This record gives sequence, structure tokens and C-alpha cells, in this order.
Amino acid sequence: MSALAPAEIQALARIMDELNYYQLMHVAPGASPREVKASYYATSRTFHPDANRHVSGELRRAIVEIAKRVSEAYAVLRDPRRREAYDQMLEDRRGVRLRLAQAAEESRQQGENAVHTPQGRQYWNLAQTDIARKDWPAAARNLQTALAFEPSNAAVRRALEAAKTRTG
Amino acid sequence: MSQIAIGIDLGTSNSCVAVQREGAVEVLANAFDEPITASVVGLREDGSIVVGNTARANIIQDPKHTISSSKRLMGRYYFSEEVKKAQAVCSYEITEGPNHGVRINVRDERFSPPEIGAMVLREIKSIAETRLGQPVSQAVITVPANFNDNQRQATKDAGRIAGLEVLRILNEPTAAALAYGFGKGLSQQVAVYDLGGGTFDISVLEIGSDVFEVLSTCGDTFLGGDDFDDRLIDLLADEFLEKQGINLRNDPFALEKLKAAAEAAKKELSVEEASEVRIPDIATAADGGASLSLERTVTAAEFETLVQDLIQRTFKVCDEALQQAGVVARDLDGVILVGGPTRLPIIHNAVREYFQQDPRTDVDPDQVVAMGAAIHAATLVDTDNRAFLLDVTPLSLKIGVAGGLAETIIERNTPVPIEQTRTFTTFQDNQESVVIRVCQGESRELSENELLGQFEFSGFKKARRGEVEIEVTFEINEDGIVNVTARDPETEQATSTRITLSSGLSEVEMREIIEENRTERVTSATPEDAEVLGAVDLVAKPVASVPEAREHPGPSGTADTDVMEVPAGPDEIDRSEELTDSIDIAVREDLAGGMDIDVDLNGTTQAMLDLDGEVELDLLPEAEMDRMAAEEPASHPAAGGSDPALAETQPDESLFGDVGTDLSEIAGDDPEVC
Repeated sequence: MSALAPAEIQALARIMDELNYYQLMHVAPGASPREVKASYYATSRTFHPDANRHVSGELRRAIVEIAKRVSEAYAVLRDPRRREAYDQMLEDRRGVRLRLAQAAEESRQQGENAVHTPQGRQYWNLAQTDIARKDWPAAARNLQTALAFEPSNAAVRRALEAAKTRTG
Repeated sequence: MSQIAIGIDLGTSNSCVAVQREGAVEVLANAFDEPITASVVGLREDGSIVVGNTARANIIQDPKHTISSSKRLMGRYYFSEEVKKAQAVCSYEITEGPNHGVRINVRDERFSPPEIGAMVLREIKSIAETRLGQPVSQAVITVPANFNDNQRQATKDAGRIAGLEVLRILNEPTAAALAYGFGKGLSQQVAVYDLGGGTFDISVLEIGSDVFEVLSTCGDTFLGGDDFDDRLIDLLADEFLEKQGINLRNDPFALEKLKAAAEAAKKELSVEEASEVRIPDIATAADGGASLSLERTVTAAEFETLVQDLIQRTFKVCDEALQQAGVVARDLDGVILVGGPTRLPIIHNAVREYFQQDPRTDVDPDQVVAMGAAIHAATLVDTDNRAFLLDVTPLSLKIGVAGGLAETIIERNTPVPIEQTRTFTTFQDNQESVVIRVCQGESRELSENELLGQFEFSGFKKARRGEVEIEVTFEINEDGIVNVTARDPETEQATSTRITLSSGLSEVEMREIIEENRTERVTSATPEDAEVLGAVDLVAKPVASVPEAREHPGPSGTADTDVMEVPAGPDEIDRSEELTDSIDIAVREDLAGGMDIDVDLNGTTQAMLDLDGEVELDLLPEAEMDRMAAEEPASHPAAGGSDPALAETQPDESLFGDVGTDLSEIAGDDPEVC
């Protein structure tokens, strides 16, 4: 059962559209992936439909609405590419919800269109795995190798610069 | 007695049921004391229905009235590749039902795949009730992780027809992980390698003390143990054809014998270095004289060569799943094997090599999924439960856009439940409706994804083009089931919705099926029955020879052939109707030729403009809408002297116009099962 009072849950469902993902998940804007995950677990414990099987009616509807938004927030905050786009969006005051398909699709198309050689693609894909794990030094190494196969590829070069910056 | 919820692994080849009581999980064995029951349904001449190993043993004697691997047909359109594949290997008759659905014809009856699934579930339910000594009404049913919305919905329907409240449609690998790590206070990242009879799934999970988070899941619904059997069947049949000039595939009785022999040989090769296949009297020599036998020794090495590419295909899928999870194989704390085929040493060794560690063998790969489902069922009915499961959607949800392409709305491996909203606007002045095709899959090409349905929204104000907004909400719930709704953001009114194409059963059909209750004819088989029938248990014996047919010897039973070629009753009427409707048939053939819906629809689904991220959709003329609304479900608009130009430019609408499922009806059914 939820730890929040029904009135609080319904109030949260009503103001949800004004909260950004960090506020919804109760994490700081600079929160680490580990903190984001911990918050996802904690929030899901309260709002996941399974944790509220015995709740019905209006209250259940409110809980499901919140649960769906929590999934959305997590899908954005756990993914470095999406999170970057989202942070930019907040900075520009362009709303509080990121369209999920957008960031990923753009970045994938960029990659697929940009990398032409099989070897280049192989290292590009390895780098994507590294980026997802936030292993920036490894990403930089793999992008460097990808660049060796496609020295004039601007997309790979840009990604490499970004990875290097993060490596510090 | 307390309410008890069971966990059911409804498999392609075998099913299994388990329950968690007082903290302990137990698999409930059938009347033969077997933990797994064949997912095979036999329809006897007296109208009674048998399910399980008794039915399975009858496949060779009575292939046309014995239905196996029906899970492959669940939630499929008749024109899909998988159905064609099933038609090629199944001896029972698969035909087209209403709404491009699939029907199975046995004797004088037609069954939808969910009804056949319900017969298996009815037997499983009865096994559980016998073992538990109390009625059971709630269950968690597992599906391959890669099952799409249509397949999940069909499985849920099957549960309902069988008289079960389906608490959850649970992904098989997720269930396996639950059985592996539940309540053990673990903190691990694991992979579940699940090779079943008909499907392959790989899931990567993070297991905490009371949280199970699925990081990614990928799969191949066209790859399973059956494909391994098929390779052996091909080898045996091709060699026989070469030597004797007889194609065993053309004789349903011989084909069933071959299938049984191939499967038995495969099982023997899990423990032995070689398997001797011996099928006496499989055919009669071409000159009508001597009876021919098939004898062939298959070695493990030979088998490995036959299936090597299939095994490699699974690792391609593993690559994807690991990448999506952001995990490297050697970092995993454990690899769990699920599914009978993973018993094969060649698979076991290949998995060890790929993951650079020994896979876990402490849980039985045939029972682990049902056990996990039972654990989840128990947590769902337990109000004090603290453990929970965070799963993802296995397939990207997309909509059709201009140029035959599909645009992603919700990417695969997004946590569920989830919802995304898109705003559409009208493309023409006074447009009355908007049509959206929704599909699941990973291809940019619409036609290469699995079509879930076509939704038509109407009932918004008439205005100049671009002035009307329709807000469409795409939702995926915890069961992985998709729901699409629309509203007018200005009035906040829900628009009326029609599903103009869907492979599933409509609410009306569901009520009829439940009312008719044909699954009630399932009579539980007992060991005594089996003796009376002279059924031979093929499952228990790892022997590669096949017993001779008893009831219907000879290459082809004459009486049965009649039944197959001249369908009686409602089926006959259906066919004659099709013949009077030439346009309908033409389009159907198009569909059969490779899902040309998109091409057909291009006549009506106009190019869509992307304008500030909004997609503009097509117009459907008012007259056409009214006409469709007035249509009786069984009538064929194109045949009755209606405007030929209309039929030509709107082939999709004349084809799909007889659907008439109302989304609100389906949605109205949800609270009961949520």
C-alpha cells in the first residue's frame, strides 16, 4: 500500500504536469545514475500498479497516471543522451516533458547515417555501449578507433570530443 | 480456504503449473505424475476434448484432429508469415477467420487460437485444482518476452475463456529470474537465456533484495526448438526422397511420425553422442508393393552442423540485449537457462563460451518459468507484499507515417507502465475522421513491423484543415498490452474510436465463445484412460523409434481426407461468400502475398506533413463513413453494386469496414482483470 494519503496522491496527480522529472523523482538535477535508480525503486514502491492492486476507482487512476510518468522520468534520466537533451530543454524553458522517441531516434539516425565502414560501425556501437554505462574513457578509446577507419567523419569526431570532455 | 493464485507457463510444446504456499514453491504434477503437460489438444469423434500427453500420443494416429503448437498462431493475422509456416508443418487445418484472424477447423467445428489455448489452460487449471483440493480462479500466465500486444491479448483472452482471472501476463525470462533469485537477498545482474519450443528470448535483469528490474529484453519469435526439429526432419525427408523418390512431407501420417522421431532424436542427443532413428513402415514403395522403413543414425556432431546457424542467431539477439542494458557479458553474475532445448550440450557449451561463464543448472529449465509465475501470483494477491517487479516493453511501438514508414512513439526496453501522447491535426477541410495504424517492431519500414491494429477517430468538430487537434494517447500497461485513445484537447472530450483492423477477438465474439463454452468439453485424462486408448507416451522415453499407427494405418485415411477437403457447416458458407466477392478476394490475395496493406492504404492515407512535430492525417469522405457505419458486419460493401470507383480507391476500407469493434468495449473489460 502507498505510504502517501489518498488526498496527497490525487494532489500529486493533478500538479504532475508542472513538475519536472527531477522534482517528480525527488532527486537533485545533478543526481548520479545510482541515485536516479534508487529513487525509481522507491517511487515505484509507492506508485507501481502492482503495489496498489487493492486500490480502486479514482485513486487507482491517479496512481496509474503517476506510475506512467515515473517510468517516463526514469527512461529519460537513466539515459545519458536523453538526459542531456532534457537538461537543455529545462534550461531553455521548453516544458517539463521530453518526447521519448525523439532524442534516441535522432542520435541513432545520426550514428547510422554517419558511420559507413563495417569496422567504424563496430567501434561506434561499442562506444554507444560505453556511453550507456557512462564509461567515458572506454567510449573515447572506441570512438578514437572508429575515427581511425573514418578520419573525415564529423559525427564520430563530435562524439569523441564529447566523450573526452566528460573523461575530464 | 484462502484464495490461491497459480502460475502457468503456457508453452508452445509443453505447459507447467506451479503454486506458492507458505513461502514454498511447488510444481503441480498432472494425473500421470508428470510435472509438465503437453500443450496438445485432441478432439475425439464423440465431441470430447483431451489435452496433454494423451492427446499428443494420438498425433500419429489422428493428425488432423490433434492440435499441437497452437501458441504459434496466437494473436496472428491469417496473412502473417508465421501462419504460413505453421500451415506447412501442421497436419490440422488452418483457415482464415473473420477480421483476418486465424481459425482451426476440426471435424465440423472452427476454433480460434485463444479457444485452443483455453482448452490447454482448462486442463492445467483442473490439474491445479485436483492437486490443491480447492477451486482456482486466479492465475499469472507467462508469455515469451518478445510477444507483441496481439499475442498478449490473445493469451489473456484464452485465460478468460478458460474461466481464469488473469492477474498478469508475465514475461517468461522475468519469471525465470524470479524463480532464481526471489527472496534470496541477492544483489546481482543476470541474463536469462530462454530457448523455448517456438521462441527465443534473452533478458538482462538487475536483482535486488526485493526489486527485480528488467534492464533489457530482446527476442526472436521465429526461432525455437521446433526449428531444430525441422532441420532434422528436412535431413531425414530429403534423404528419403533422394533414395526412394517419395516425399514424406506430403503424407500427414508420415510427417507426424517424422516429427516425433526427430524430436526424440534431438532429446537423445542431449545425453548421447549419437541417436538411431528407426521408423518402420513409413511409406509404401512407389510401385505399390513393399512397405518402406526409414533408418538413419544421426551423430551429435552432425546435428551441431545442422543447427549451428540457429544457435549463432540467438547470440546476435544476446548482443543487442547486452548493448541495450549497457552490460558486458563477463560482468554478469549469473546466466540462467530456460526451455527444454537448452538441455542440448551444444547449446549449453555455446552459451558458456559466449557469456564466459558456466550457466546455472540448479533450476529445471522446463519448470523454472511456472515457478516464477507462481511466485509473482503470490506476491500479487498478498497485500503485505513488499517485493515488486519493474519490467519493460520488449518491442518499439510505432505508427504508420507517409512513405510506408513507421515512426517510433515508445522505444523498446522502456519501463512499463508508460504513456506517450501525440497531437495530430486534420489534413483537409471539414475532415471527419483520422486513421492511425499502430504497429510494433524495430524496422523503419511499416510493413516489416507487426501490425497491431488500425484505429479510426471521429466525432470532433468540423473545421478548416489544420484547425482541429486530436490528441492521441498510446499506453502500454504492466502486462505489455497496448491501449490507444484519443481526445479533443479543446473540449477535453474523448473522440469516438473504431478499431478497423485487429487480429483479436472482439468483445462480442468473446462473449459468444464464453457463452458457448466449448472448452467445458475438456475431459481430464487419467492413466486408466491412456491404457484404454492404447496411447503410447512418447515424451517419457528418449527413444528415437516411433510406434506404429494403430487406429488409422496406411498412407492416408480416406474418411479423414474427405473432412479436410470439404469443410461442412459454417465454413462452407463462408467460402461461398468469398467467391461472390471478387474484390474482397483480390485484396485478400494481396495480403497473403506479403502484407500489402500499406500499399493498399496509400490510396486513402494521404501524405502527412510534419509541422512543428505534428503529423497530419488523412481524410475519409463522409459518405464512406456513413456507409460503413450502416454496414452489417457480415455484408461485403464492394459486392452489392456500390460505387465501383469508391471500391477501387478505398480497397482497405471496403476490406476492413466489416470490423466494428469498439475500443470502449475492450477497455471496459480491463478493470476486471487489472
